[in-house]
Amino acid sequence: MKQTNFNYRVFLFLLLFPCFVFAQNTVTGKVSAENGDPVPFANVIEKGTTNGTTTDFDGTYSIDVSGFPATLEFSSLGYTTVEQQVSASGAVDVTLSEAAQALEEVIITGLGTSIKRANAANAVSSVSAEELVGTTGQTTVDGALYGKVTGVNITASSGAPGGGFALRLRGISSINGNNQPLIIVDGVYVNNVEIPSGLRFASGANRPNEENAANRLADLDPNDIEDIEILKGSSAAAIYGQRGNAGVIIITTKRGSRGKTKINFAQDVGIQVIANPLGLRPWTAQSVEDVFGPDERAKYEAVINARGELYDYEDIIYGETGFITETRLSASGGDEKTKFYVGGGFRDEAGIIKNTGFDRLSLRANIDHKISNTFDVTSTSNYVRSNSSRSFTGNENEGGLSYGYNLAFTRPWNNLFPDAQGNYPFNPTFAGNPVFVRDKAINEDSNNRFIQGLTVNTKILTTDKNRVKLITSAGVDYLSNETYVYVPETHQSHPDPDNPGFIAVGNNNFTQFNAQAIGVWNYNASTDLALTTQAGMTYLYQDFDNVLTTGSGLLAGQTNVDNSAVQAIFQTKQREQDFGMFGQVEANYKDQFIATVGYRLDKSTRNGDPNEYYGFPKASLAVNLANMDFWTVDALNQVKLRAAYGETGNPAQFGSTFTSYVSTTIGGPAGQTLGGLKGDPDVQPETAREFEFGLDLGVLDSRINLEATYYNKQVDDLILTRTLPGSSGFTQERTNLADLKNTGVELAVTADVFQSEDFAWNTRVQWYKNTSEVTRLDVPAFAQPGAGFGTGLGTFFIEEGQPVTQLVGNIDGELQQVGDVEPDFQMAWSNNITLFQDWDLSFLFQMKEGGDNLNLSRFLTDLGQTSEDLETPEGQARLASPTNALRFIEDASYIRLREAALYYNVPSKFVESVFGGNVEGVRMGVSGRNIFTITDYSSYDPETSVNGGAGLSSGIEVTPFPSATQVYFHLNVNF
Amino acid sequence: MKNIIRNITLVGMTTAALFVTSCTFEEVVDPNGPSVDGVQSEASIGQLNELVVGVESSARNGIAIETTASGTMARELYLFDADPRNTGDLLGKNGIGLDNNSFYSTAQWNGSYRCIKNANLLISAANNTSAITNGERNGYLGFAKTIIAYELIQMAKSYGQARVDVADEENLGPIVGEAEVLAAARNMLNEANNELNSGTFLFSLSAGFDGFDTAGTFSQFNRAVAAMAAVYAGDGPGALSALGGSHFNLNGDLSNGPKHLFAPGGNDALNGLFKLPSTSVEDQNNGDQIIVHDSWINDAEAGDLRVAAKSAPRPDPSASLDDLTGTHETRLYGSSTDFIDFIRNEELVLIYAEASILAGNLGNAENGLNVIRNAAGLANYSGDTSAAGLTNEMLNQRRYSLWCENHRMYDMRRYGRSGTLPIDRAGDQVFNQLPVPLAEEN
Repeated sequence: MKQTNFNYRVFLFLLLFPCFVFAQNTVTGKVSAENGDPVPFANVIEKGTTNGTTTDFDGTYSIDVSGFPATLEFSSLGYTTVEQQVSASGAVDVTLSEAAQALEEVIITGLGTSIKRANAANAVSSVSAEELVGTTGQTTVDGALYGKVTGVNITASSGAPGGGFALRLRGISSINGNNQPLIIVDGVYVNNVEIPSGLRFASGANRPNEENAANRLADLDPNDIEDIEILKGSSAAAIYGQRGNAGVIIITTKRGSRGKTKINFAQDVGIQVIANPLGLRPWTAQSVEDVFGPDERAKYEAVINARGELYDYEDIIYGETGFITETRLSASGGDEKTKFYVGGGFRDEAGIIKNTGFDRLSLRANIDHKISNTFDVTSTSNYVRSNSSRSFTGNENEGGLSYGYNLAFTRPWNNLFPDAQGNYPFNPTFAGNPVFVRDKAINEDSNNRFIQGLTVNTKILTTDKNRVKLITSAGVDYLSNETYVYVPETHQSHPDPDNPGFIAVGNNNFTQFNAQAIGVWNYNASTDLALTTQAGMTYLYQDFDNVLTTGSGLLAGQTNVDNSAVQAIFQTKQREQDFGMFGQVEANYKDQFIATVGYRLDKSTRNGDPNEYYGFPKASLAVNLANMDFWTVDALNQVKLRAAYGETGNPAQFGSTFTSYVSTTIGGPAGQTLGGLKGDPDVQPETAREFEFGLDLGVLDSRINLEATYYNKQVDDLILTRTLPGSSGFTQERTNLADLKNTGVELAVTADVFQSEDFAWNTRVQWYKNTSEVTRLDVPAFAQPGAGFGTGLGTFFIEEGQPVTQLVGNIDGELQQVGDVEPDFQMAWSNNITLFQDWDLSFLFQMKEGGDNLNLSRFLTDLGQTSEDLETPEGQARLASPTNALRFIEDASYIRLREAALYYNVPSKFVESVFGGNVEGVRMGVSGRNIFTITDYSSYDPETSVNGGAGLSSGIEVTPFPSATQVYFHLNVNF
Repeated sequence: MKNIIRNITLVGMTTAALFVTSCTFEEVVDPNGPSVDGVQSEASIGQLNELVVGVESSARNGIAIETTASGTMARELYLFDADPRNTGDLLGKNGIGLDNNSFYSTAQWNGSYRCIKNANLLISAANNTSAITNGERNGYLGFAKTIIAYELIQMAKSYGQARVDVADEENLGPIVGEAEVLAAARNMLNEANNELNSGTFLFSLSAGFDGFDTAGTFSQFNRAVAAMAAVYAGDGPGALSALGGSHFNLNGDLSNGPKHLFAPGGNDALNGLFKLPSTSVEDQNNGDQIIVHDSWINDAEAGDLRVAAKSAPRPDPSASLDDLTGTHETRLYGSSTDFIDFIRNEELVLIYAEASILAGNLGNAENGLNVIRNAAGLANYSGDTSAAGLTNEMLNQRRYSLWCENHRMYDMRRYGRSGTLPIDRAGDQVFNQLPVPLAEEN
C-alpha cells in the first residue's frame, strides 16, 4: 500500500520539477545512440565546471549553463564520450556511438549492476559470440571455451558426440561437492547435471560417474549466446554467496535492437574423424606363437591367408566418418517499445563410432518490452530437445560392452562379424564382441528442456542525482530426461546369466526455480563521485526425481522393459532450497578510484542447520592511475592497479546430513541394511576466501592491453568423503575435514598488431597457472574414494602439505607420489587476421604444459598383448615391469591447434548484383576444430577422465571414447 | 528528497523482514531411506524383523570376491574377468605385492563388517524397545551374535586378524591376532547359544534357513560354527562337544545345512560364483569365468565324482588370459540363484575327522574320512593311518569337498603348507593372507 502513495509522490515530483529550473541559459536536446534508441541517464556536464545533469528515459536533457559559448560533455557507460560546442540556448541533439574498444566494455559485478571493464577490480573474463562460435562449429558451450579464458582448466571426459566436460576455474575448489561453476543464463540458474543411465548394471562399472554421461550444459546452443562473463574466483563471485565457490559463469543470450528486422541464416556442414588412431600391434607369425602359442599362430596364419591382412578392429569400430550439419535461422529487430530476437537451430552430429550421434533442436524467443517510463519487462524463453547416442566406452567389469575394453583383449585374427544368418560369434578372448555391441546394443538419452527467465524492472525514482530501480526476476529450468540402455539377450555376457539381456529405462525430472528482488540506487553525490547501492534477496529451489527401471531376462528381440522376466526399480529424490540476502555499495570517484564493499547472508537446506545464516563479505578497490590529473604519459592510456577480496561458500552435497538404511531383501520380505555413508548432521558449508590483485595496462589507445592477476584462494572446511575403517560398519563418512589453498597467476596480452585497410592482425596470448596445496587435514592422509582404482594402480590421495591433485601409488609396499594431474601452466594463442577486407583468417593454439595422467587403458592392452608398441624392446620392457602406478603414469602435456578458420565475405557489390536488395551480406568459410595435437601421451587424447566431470576426476584414463577432429564448411547469409 | 530515500529504505526493509521471517526452512529428512536413529529406541517388531532381513541379506556381502581371491591365492582356480588384478596381484605377478587398497582386500572386510554392524544395530534396537518380551529379545540377540561370530571367523581366515570390538563406530577396539579373534568368536557363540536356548524367534528367515529357522534349530547352526571355530583354534575336544549340538550327522545327508539364498531383483543379490557355462568353442565364455587350476584336476584320485560334479572341460582349453590357462571351468553352481552353503554336513564330517585327529581318536577320524570318500565314489582310505597321514588325507578331502568355497588358502596357512603350492609363471609368488585394508589405519 505504501508504494502506491510513494509512486504518486514521485510522479508529482517529476511533474513539477521542470518548473523550478526555468532559466535563461538553458540548453535542451536529446541524446540518442547510433541505432536511434534514446540513451537514458547519460551524463551531460558543462566542461570545466561541476555543473551537470543526466538525460531522462527518453534521452532528453535540459541544462542551465553559466554562459555562452559553453562546451557540453556527453558521456554514458558503453558509449564513447562526445564534446559539443554550444553557442546559444536552444536544442542540441547528440548521437553517441557505441564504444568499440574493450576498455569501454561493461561487465557484471553485482547481481543487479554492471561496471565498465576499465573500472573493474577483478579480472573478469568475457567471451563474445564472435570468440565463442565465430571461428568454427561448436557442439557445447564448455567445449567452446578452450583457450579463450585464463584460469580455466577444461577436460573432456569423453569424445562422444554431445560432450562431457569438466570445467574448473582457478583450480579445485571442492573435492566431493560441486566443482562446476554456477551457470546463470539470462538470470536463470541452469542445471548442469550428469545423468547416469544405469548402464553400469549391465557393464559392471563401479559407479554412476563411470557411465560417461554428458553434462547437460550440452543443451544450451552456443550460437544463441551474445556474451559470457566468467567470475573466476571468490573475490569476484562473492555476491553469489554460497553457490559461488567454484566461480560463476554468466551467460547473456542474443537480444533484438531497434530498427529494421534482421534475418540471419547459417548453414554448417562438416565431418568428424578419429583424431589420433593408435594402430595395430604389428604382429608376426613368430610373435603370435611366442605370446599365445602354436594354436593361436595357426589362427593368425589362417586369417592372413584368407584375407591378406588382420582385422583392424580399432579402425572398424572408431574409423567412421561422422557427418555434421547445423542449420540456424534467426530474426531480430524492434521498435521503441518492443525488441525481439527469435531464432532456432538444429544440429545433427554423427560420431566416429557407427550408431553414435547427438542432435539438438533449440528454439528461442527473447522479448524486451517497455511498458511505460516506469516499467519494462524482459522475457527469455528457450525450448530444447536434444538426443544423444553414446554407445559404450569407459570402465567396466565383465560387461563385454565398453569398446576399449573389448578391443584390448580382441586378437586381430578373431573374426567377430556375423554369419549369413546374422548370428554374431562370441569373442573368444573377451566378454563381448564389439561389432555386436556396435550394431545391436543401445545407450541413448533424450531431453526435453524449457528454460524461462522473466525480469521486471521498475524505475521508482529518477532525478538528476538519484535513480532508484527495483529489479525483480524469476527463472525456471525444467529438464525432463529419459535414458535408455538396451543389451540384447544374444549378447555374450550378462549381469544375471540366468536372465540374459538387459534394459534400463530412466525417467529423470529436474525442476529448478530461482527468484530474486534487488533494489538499486544510483546516487551522483557530485559530478566527481557516484555511488551505486544495491540490496536484495534471492531464493533457489531444486527438485530432482530420478526413477530407473531395469529389466533382465528379455523376450527374444524385445526392447520394452515390460518384456523382461526380472524387473527392478530404483528411485532417488532430492529437494533443496537456498535463501540469501545481500547488499553492496560501489563508489566511483572520477573514474580514478572505484571501491566496492558488499555482504551476503545465505542459508541452505543442504547444511546441517538449514536455518543458520553464513556470511560472505567482499571488498575491492581499483585505481586508474592514467585517469589521474598528474598522468602525462600519453602512450599509456590505462594503468589500473586493482585488489579484491571476497568470500563464497558451497553447501554440503545433498544427503550429507543423513545416516540411513537402504532397502534390501533376501528372496522375500523387505529389510533394512546400513547404507554405508555416515552423514554429519552438523555439516557446515565449505567456504572460500580469495584475495586477488592485478595490474591492467592499456597502451596506445588500448591497441595493446595487458592484464596480469595473482590470486590466493583459501578453501576452508572442505567437506570430504573419506573411507572409514570398514570395521566401523560404514565405508564412508562425509564431513568438514580439511583446508585447501589455490594460488595462481593469470596473464593476458591483446594487441592490434596491424590496422591497415588491407591487413589487420589482432592477436592474444594467455598464460596461466594454478598450484594447490592441502593446508589442513584433520584425519590421516587417505585415498580419495571414487577417484581411481586404489593405491595398487594409483589414486588421488588427500594428504596435508601436498597438492590436492596428486596421484599416489603403492610402489613395492610404500605409498609414493607418482604424479600430479595439475598442469604446470597453460597457454593459448589466438589470432584474427583480416586480409584485403574480405578475408578473415583465424587460428587458436592451446597448450597445456605438465600434468600427469594414469593411462590404465595401457594396463588392459598390455594384458591383452595388443598394445601397439609391444613389438619393440621398450614395450616388452614395460610388459615385464610390475603393474603399479609408476608403470602407467605419463606426462599429458600437449599443444593443440584447437580452432582454425578462413572466411570470405562476399563483396556487397557482388551480393547486390546477384540478389538485388534482398540480401545484405554473404559470408562463407572453412574451419576445423582439434586439427592437430602434439603430445608424448600414448593414448587417444591427453585430456581424459574415467569418472566424468565431478570432483577429482580428470587424469585417469580407462578406455575412453576417442576424440575427433572436425572440419566444417560454413555459409552465413544476412537478409 | 531525504524522506523519499528513507521511505524506499523503509519499504525495502519491511518487505525484506517479512520475507525473511516467513522463509524458515523445515527440518530435512532423507527422502530416500529410513534413518538409523529411527530404530534405536522403541523399535516395533516389524522394524526389528526388517533389521533381521538386513543381517541375513548382508551376510552374503563379498562372498564371491573372497572366494575367488583366496582360491586364486591358493592355486585352486583362476578368475578370468575384466579386472587384471585377478591374474596379476593375487598371484604376485612379476614380484608385485598385495595392495591394501584394492577390491580384493576391501570387499570382504567391508562386506562382513557391514553385516556385523547391521547385527550390532539389531542388538541395540532389541535392547532398547519395550515391544518384546525377554524371551523374544533373546531370540534376536542369539541370532545376531551367531552371525557376528560367523563373520569374525571369516575375517580370521582371510586376514589372520580382525577387529573384534566394533559395536561403537566412534571407539573401535584394536585389531587383534587370529587366536584372539577365534577365542572371542567362540565366547560370543556360547553366549548366543544360551540366549537361543532361552529364546524364541518372532521373525522368519529366508528359505536358505529351512530347518534352522526356530531358536532351537538355529542353535544347531550356532553349534556347528562353534565346532568349526574350535578346530581352527586347535581344540579337538571342544569341537567334538560342539558337534554334538549341531546338525552333524555321520550317516546323514551331507548337503544338509543352512544356506545363503540368492534371488534376482534390485535389492536382492545373485550368486556371483555362478558363471555361464561354455558349450562350444564358438560360445566359449572366457570373459567372466572361473578356471579350475590344472593341479586340482591332475591330483584327483581316479573316479572322484566331485571332479565331474564341480567342473567341466573347456571346449578350447588353449584360450588363455595373462599367460594362464586351464583345461576345466567351474560347474559348482547351476544357476545364479543357487544356494551357497554357510556350513553343510559334509564340512561338519570333515570337522569331525579333524577334531578326532586333534583329540587323538584316529579311528573315528578315519571313519569320518571314509564317509566323505565313499560319498565321492572312492574306496575306503588305505594309506598311512598315523596322525600325520590322516591329516594329509583330511586336507586332501577338504580340498575336493570344499573346492572354491573359501577354505583352501586358510587350510594351507593353518597347517603351514602354503609353501607347497605350485607357481605357474616365473616371477609369481604365493600369498596366504590378505592385507588389512588401508582405511583401518584411519
